[in-house]
Amino acid sequence: MTNNFIILLIVIPLGTGILSLLLIDRLRLARLVGTLSLMSTAAISIYLLTQLYHDGAIFTSQMGDWPAPFGISVVFDSLSGLLLAAASVVALGSYVHSYSTMSDALERRYYHPLMQFLMFGVNLSFLTGDLFNLFVAFEIMLMASYALLTLGASRRQMSQAYKYVMLNLIASALFVISAGIVYGLMGTLNFADLARIVAEHKASGEPLPLGFRAVSLMFLFVFGLKGAIFPLWFWLPDTYYTTPISIAGLFAGMLTKVGIYATLRTFPMIFAQMEAGQLVMPIIAVSAAFTMFLGVLGAVSMHEVRRILAIHVISQVGYMVFGIAVMSAAAMAGCLFYMIQHMVVKCALFLCCGIMERYAGSDDLNKIGGVLKRDWLLGLLFFIAAMSLVGLPPLSGFFGKMVIIAEGWNGFWVLSMFGLLTGALTLLSMLKIWGYGYWGPPQGDHAEVPVGARRVRRYRSGYVGIGILVVTALFLGFGANPVYKIAFTAGDQLFNTYDYRVAVLGEDFAGPNIGPMRWWELPEVMSAEAPGDDASSLDSASVGSDALADGNSTDDHVTAPVEWPDFEGESHAAVDSNTPDTH
Amino acid sequence: MTLVLAICVAVILTVSIYLMLGRELKEIAMGVFLLSHAAHLSIIAMSRSPIRGMGEIKAAPILTEPGPPVDALPQALILTSIVISFAVSGFLLTLIVLTGRKTGTLNVDDLSREQMPTP
Repeated sequence: MTNNFIILLIVIPLGTGILSLLLIDRLRLARLVGTLSLMSTAAISIYLLTQLYHDGAIFTSQMGDWPAPFGISVVFDSLSGLLLAAASVVALGSYVHSYSTMSDALERRYYHPLMQFLMFGVNLSFLTGDLFNLFVAFEIMLMASYALLTLGASRRQMSQAYKYVMLNLIASALFVISAGIVYGLMGTLNFADLARIVAEHKASGEPLPLGFRAVSLMFLFVFGLKGAIFPLWFWLPDTYYTTPISIAGLFAGMLTKVGIYATLRTFPMIFAQMEAGQLVMPIIAVSAAFTMFLGVLGAVSMHEVRRILAIHVISQVGYMVFGIAVMSAAAMAGCLFYMIQHMVVKCALFLCCGIMERYAGSDDLNKIGGVLKRDWLLGLLFFIAAMSLVGLPPLSGFFGKMVIIAEGWNGFWVLSMFGLLTGALTLLSMLKIWGYGYWGPPQGDHAEVPVGARRVRRYRSGYVGIGILVVTALFLGFGANPVYKIAFTAGDQLFNTYDYRVAVLGEDFAGPNIGPMRWWELPEVMSAEAPGDDASSLDSASVGSDALADGNSTDDHVTAPVEWPDFEGESHAAVDSNTPDTH
Repeated sequence: MTLVLAICVAVILTVSIYLMLGRELKEIAMGVFLLSHAAHLSIIAMSRSPIRGMGEIKAAPILTEPGPPVDALPQALILTSIVISFAVSGFLLTLIVLTGRKTGTLNVDDLSREQMPTP
């Protein structure tokens, strides 16, 4: 369904960013404008979510009214809607928090415009309907994040920033190469059109082009690096450790999720289908287990609150990747729910840590203690957020983990066991922060600092920011039902891509409706293998590719979907007229 | 023509990976710049004519020999990508200059030794 209002979600942050460039010396006004912008994107995305709540409609907007595979499509479906709403709320919380925890000098260094440009990139990557614009959105987001990461340019920041920047540059270059190869192989970059080609190949039983497996592996690398999954997570703890706390909270909440979103959007639909799935899905499953488990082990071994929280991001990303690895509609819904709750909760924890640091003068658990005695409010907020992260039943984390682990139980029970173990260790590491930092006798520098409402007032906006996030987390826990309804719609639409294709490409060009697209359900020509029989399905894949090479028809059946009826007549003439020259 | 491009991409990639394995930030940055060049060149290879067989590179329209138009989309992609990588390269060079000024070194080993505990 066409709905051009969705473009507002991109235009508002962009416009506000440009406006705040002009307001760089008027901090109060810049804060006001920035807050209004974030509130309005949150309101718009929540309003649109209520619109698609009942029938799971997909809103599209074709830029310049060019029909879908040719122009730029912007798509707002349940998946992107939930993530947009969560991202706006998280950004709002950390933005409000930054009023009181960030120094004015830092704010004057273009914090406000950068924040808006970051949201511009994030919103665009959630909304865009094609691979190349996803790349552009990533670049916008990363450019803003590079600048935010080095905001203030302290010695500690500068000694770590290069890792993040270089790695992301390498990933971007690989992204461009892979996008180019996808265009070369399939002739299109539009997600819906790619999904149509995959569905047509599945329906007719033709194998996908040979390079497809390589491309999907490259995309797994690119998105995995952004999402910090198992072998590619090493950059994360160091970089999140050094930034101003509200920015660290925002990054921890949002940036890795954008990588996971890209995986969730493209892999079930396109890059993990048929032969590519046989290559990619086992890798995803193994890396999910390692990401979950090694991340939480790192967190248990650390002694600084920021590092514990940062390494926890990795462990939680593992759960999301686990949801993708199971790849059923419900597991992907669980993955989506877990993503949004994790964005909110993780950011809240970082923000709590920010105020705690101010009280205690350090985030080293050996040096602090007794924060609860001084400030019960902070303790309460931290406790709710921490228990949501762990996933105690009435709170939000429980529902996400429950669905993913229950879905994984048949077929992926090893992963489910890892998930449960990780949950227990998460509890352990959260209790460590609670026990050393909040409980116990006051210790260290802060013991002499006067207690009272004066300090609370000084960090008032900090508490408001954390409050927004904790209330959202509570809503996600107690109001999980409506959120899950939208999440299940999203899972269904990822699983059976027909709705998405119809919404973007139109009924006539949407390709066949072949029902749920589980990657191992291969067409009859190959063989319909159960998920366990990897060896034999790989054999069948190689048989298929041999046949493809023998037939020497690589170029024919991979033909671009773009039709060129006008050139058809001229082409032969042109070729004929050129042949004498070449000989 | 595709073969020539492929060889170019392979050579540039090799050089860039060699540079990226260095220990100096300047070398790594040069490697990253070269990597983006390799990416752009590899997209040109996708800019084949939709009419003549696949994988054949069409002459640019400014050449005297007339021919059917080339698929312009990869070129638009490259143009966008060049602009982006230009901006990012500028940022990266600034970052390296600042890193050098703040920490007094551009060697990766020295930088990783910088990890101080929280003050």
